[in-house]
Amino acid sequence: MKPNRYKVSEVISIVSHQLKTPLSAIKGYLEVLVSDDVGKTNPKQKEYLKDALANVQRMINLVKDLLDVSQIEEGRMELKPRPTNLEKIIREAVKEFTLLAQAKNCTLSFDVKGKIPLLNIDPLKIRQVVSNLISNAIDYNERKGKVGLLLERKGNKVLFHCKDCGIGIPEKEKEKVFKKFYRSEKAMALSTGGSGLGLFISKAIIEKSGGKIWFQSQKGKGSIFYFSLPIKTKNN
Amino acid sequence: MKKSKVLIIEDDRFLLKLYADKLQREGFEVLSSLTGEEGLNKVSVEKPDLIILDLILPGKNGFEVLSELKLNPGTKDIPVIILTNLGQEADIKKGLELGADTYLVKTDFSLSQLPEVVKGVLVKVKKK
Repeated sequence: MKPNRYKVSEVISIVSHQLKTPLSAIKGYLEVLVSDDVGKTNPKQKEYLKDALANVQRMINLVKDLLDVSQIEEGRMELKPRPTNLEKIIREAVKEFTLLAQAKNCTLSFDVKGKIPLLNIDPLKIRQVVSNLISNAIDYNERKGKVGLLLERKGNKVLFHCKDCGIGIPEKEKEKVFKKFYRSEKAMALSTGGSGLGLFISKAIIEKSGGKIWFQSQKGKGSIFYFSLPIKTKNN
Repeated sequence: MKKSKVLIIEDDRFLLKLYADKLQREGFEVLSSLTGEEGLNKVSVEKPDLIILDLILPGKNGFEVLSELKLNPGTKDIPVIILTNLGQEADIKKGLELGADTYLVKTDFSLSQLPEVVKGVLVKVKKK
């Protein structure tokens, strides 16, 4: 038998890149149909087209997550840190998720305590983490719930909290939360959208940015996910 | 008013048709090429007002096409929009440094934005 020429992560990377082009094409054609650009669709047709579009977007997100994972595993994940307003990033994410929260009967609030300085972080990657935490908090809300976000300064760090009133994480599953492809049984029953890669990627991004990510959770009552990021000054 | 002429250089036939049809519906005259070499020939013959350029192309890649366009005094002022699946910071930087006006990543943009982006670049170039 010939030895394997490619590592698994390389195969994932190549396949993911190859998938992007046809997925972009499917997404584009569905967008044309949904927007009635080439003729009016009836309400049922439009509903199905929107469902198809949402699912293509899921596939695109999965492909992107897989590319991130392959980069993390090969030590190729690049961060481009620059002075960044984290509060603004979170406000933009809140705006993006407001409609989704409403659709799931959930309220999304954001508070800031104190003045948050500019942080030397990669804005796109940190935005990815913030979006991932908010999206999880909304997705796993079992009933009419609240998602509360808080950003505060704690000494030479800033601390972000994302609190939900969701299903919580069972004690025996807590250590697996940041593992790749981990999804709790309850999560799988509740939401079909997740890939189990978001928290794995988030952890890698936060740690590479010099921060920490962790959570507290009580089954049936909800979870709070936190991340902290260092405030870099001339002295540290 | 004369229609603006846009050349799309894209090797995926489905994406090419999608972009071309969209821009035609929005009133642009659209030309297309499936390879970089064919695209460069069309640029010299047709003198488009704007070029939409993919990067991963058979034969000459998009970066090479862009370099040739910008080195040629006859084509260096034609604005170029890169539309690609290469989304790494290094690729974006290289594309913009070589002279592209805008850099779009296929999976991150919505087709409905394309006509606006094209119009925006054309307006910006006219003002120069």
